[in-house]
Amino acid sequence: MGEMFRTAVSPPVTEEYPFGPAVVSERFRGRLDVDPVKCTGCGVCEIVCPASVITMVPTGKRKVGEREIEVKKPVFDLYTCISCGQCVEDCRFDALWLTKTFELAVFDKQSLVMKKALTVGK
Amino acid sequence: MSEATGSEKREAGAGLMEYSPEGLMPFGPVHPALKEPEYFKLTLEGERIVDVAPRIGYVHRGIERAAQDRTWVKNVYLFERICGICSFAHSIAYAQGVESLTEFVIPRRAKYIRLVIAELERIHSHLLWLGLVGHWTGFETLFMWIWKDREHVLDQLEAITGNRVHKSFATFGGVRKDLPEGIEPKLAQATKFVRERVKYYRQLMESEETLVVRTKGVGKIDQNIARRLCPVGPLLRCTGIERDVRVEDPYAAYDEIVPEVKTQTAGDIASLLALRLDEVEESCRLIDEAMEKLPKGDYKVLFPRAIPSGEAMFHVEAPRGELFYFVKSTGSTKPERVKIRTPTMANLLTAKEMLKGHTLADVPVVLTGMDPCFGCMDRITVFDPGKGKEWTVRGEALRKYGIEYYRRRAGS
Amino acid sequence: MQLLTFPGLTFFVCVAFLFEWLERKTAARMQGRRGPVVTGPFGILQPVADFFKLTSKQEIIPEFSDRFVLRWGPPLYFAAPAIGLAFIPVVGLTPVLGHPLDLLFVLFIFSFSALMATLLGYASAGRYSTIAIGRLVLQYTGFEIPMILAVITPSILAGNLSIEGIVAAQGSIWYVLLAPAAFAVFIVAALAELEKPPFDIPNAKTEIVGGWMTEFSGSTLAYVKLTKNMSYVFLSALAVALFLGGPSGPVLTQSVLAQEALFSVYFLVKLFAVGFLIFSIRTALARVKIGQATRLFWTVLTPLSLLQVGVALIMR
Repeated sequence: MGEMFRTAVSPPVTEEYPFGPAVVSERFRGRLDVDPVKCTGCGVCEIVCPASVITMVPTGKRKVGEREIEVKKPVFDLYTCISCGQCVEDCRFDALWLTKTFELAVFDKQSLVMKKALTVGK
Repeated sequence: MSEATGSEKREAGAGLMEYSPEGLMPFGPVHPALKEPEYFKLTLEGERIVDVAPRIGYVHRGIERAAQDRTWVKNVYLFERICGICSFAHSIAYAQGVESLTEFVIPRRAKYIRLVIAELERIHSHLLWLGLVGHWTGFETLFMWIWKDREHVLDQLEAITGNRVHKSFATFGGVRKDLPEGIEPKLAQATKFVRERVKYYRQLMESEETLVVRTKGVGKIDQNIARRLCPVGPLLRCTGIERDVRVEDPYAAYDEIVPEVKTQTAGDIASLLALRLDEVEESCRLIDEAMEKLPKGDYKVLFPRAIPSGEAMFHVEAPRGELFYFVKSTGSTKPERVKIRTPTMANLLTAKEMLKGHTLADVPVVLTGMDPCFGCMDRITVFDPGKGKEWTVRGEALRKYGIEYYRRRAGS
Repeated sequence: MQLLTFPGLTFFVCVAFLFEWLERKTAARMQGRRGPVVTGPFGILQPVADFFKLTSKQEIIPEFSDRFVLRWGPPLYFAAPAIGLAFIPVVGLTPVLGHPLDLLFVLFIFSFSALMATLLGYASAGRYSTIAIGRLVLQYTGFEIPMILAVITPSILAGNLSIEGIVAAQGSIWYVLLAPAAFAVFIVAALAELEKPPFDIPNAKTEIVGGWMTEFSGSTLAYVKLTKNMSYVFLSALAVALFLGGPSGPVLTQSVLAQEALFSVYFLVKLFAVGFLIFSIRTALARVKIGQATRLFWTVLTPLSLLQVGVALIMR
């Protein structure tokens, strides 16, 4: 029972958040982010995502030699994302990474759709 | 609450054995004592429990069916979300089940890392349960203190895997990332801290009168009941039977770092407390040993997308007992069938046996003495006493039946 | 007028809220948490906020409950400790309401509280409430006798049956020193009456949900909770009056008004000391089962208090 009084006078363990900064570790898996320049539109991320977050949408055409092929880029429905990091692991071009942001509550689900990768076409 | 028995009769095909309305006390599905919903129909005489009829299925999510629609890799994330507390155990059981269908050999370092995370998870799960014992006996202070100490373990898990609960760390061929730089001293510090606290809690469990009277002699089972009803995990070991999957069928690095199987003989809740504390200490020792002997090398090998056909069974020692996975592949990118048998399923009937003859006050303590994880466990089986047959309803059929039933009931 | 404000109803309601805040804060600190922080400085307005929140919620009364009792019972339940508090001297030796036999009235209040709680639980007629009132009645019969004996002891020592008289007779030697066992028994019985751990059996959150308070919601629950806090204050105040000499303390000024204020301060200090004692015990212990509790009451507390009465009689 003496423990009880010792705990009473030592500082509480509760974290300050949200009245103070949130403490996360180095490897914390937060919100997904993409580098549009590095992304080649290979589509591997769409295949491996467990939560079906990624959809490849056509953004134009590209000439490769004599043929014209359709270029697709990913659109991320981040409101479904579980931040597992499988896409990060499988992207050969290091275009994806997980940030430390976790405060993702919004009123409008559509605002969590990330279309960044569509901006830089090739 | 007589309306409850009436509506049960109308429920879709679920005709249970009818109990008399007086003395019938529903425990759950939603109840502050149970972390997950399950329905226990207690037949009481005053406060003494005469019989318990558990009814499961309240948190059934159809995961085995969902697994058939997803590729092998996606299923890793599906299965680790079956349970928050034994998440990694599910991960490695599935991963190792699938790996045994192929020719790949997991690197030694990966095995060691899997062991470290699995043991960290065991510590966190046991500490969670110990804190909850405090909560159920009304000892809120103990609950807060133990969970405070558990935070140290969770911090280590977060530092290594990136998340506290759904670790997403095991993958086919090993683990997803290597251990971070500088983790060794932190882990050593954490295990040292946990060991000291375990000493304190052990002394507290024995000396705190109010806790002792609630747990000693409560929920007593002996080896005969254990052999008859086949519980697994700590519930089995507290009766003195020494069974542990890590020792009998070593996986990960357990063949090189051998755990010592701890048992108690009393078979009541107090012995479960002591046993789980012992297991926490043992896990600390295993982690320290594994970190010392950690081999260098790769932490994973690359895996193809399609798995060769075959059937594999794999079992691991989850914190609650033996977790069993059956994986069937037909050579495609998606599994044909995954069957999971979680430890709580095996322990449920033993819990029922433990409750007989006790009072209502003991129900939360005993039911949670088996450390239930109903989220892991649920299934739907339909038993119709009128037709005298029993069948398991498949997801699609149940869905159609449900729609038809309500349509008829609404009269449309 | 004095009855309603200071040191009457308003004052004690504020003290009741303060007590709840203090309890939550100390329990939290002892557990390594923070306790209420958001409302007001140090979260001191948290109980008030809870009260108003509850009154603003919809009241759901199950159809098998007795509506009339559930609507009019709680104010009656509230009246018991509220009136009881009027008998306790706060400023100086004279309480707001006094009577030569008021100690008996105080004992009646205990019975009345338990009876009202049982009635309310019975009127709720839910499954959990029914089990809870069984436990409540059992617990009540258990602690009633030790409580009565513990309360009689100071009156034997003072030769007086009024609280005012007991406070006056204590003078400079508080009865806690002359009859420590009675004080201990009183505290334990107080824990049982208030349904606090280790005796929160009728209100066991993890076993029978809310106990006899399960079916309450909205304003009814707000008043019931307030009443529980008032009982808390009432029992602590009674302990202070009977064992710790009430508001007595060194006389420092000549002015009557300042002296009265000073007496109130002494009273409050002692009140919070007793409260703190109860909080500490409550935080440190788990809940016992009803069988074990009754065993404790009958085999330990009752003989102890009888012994104490005997000693007191001899000392007279």
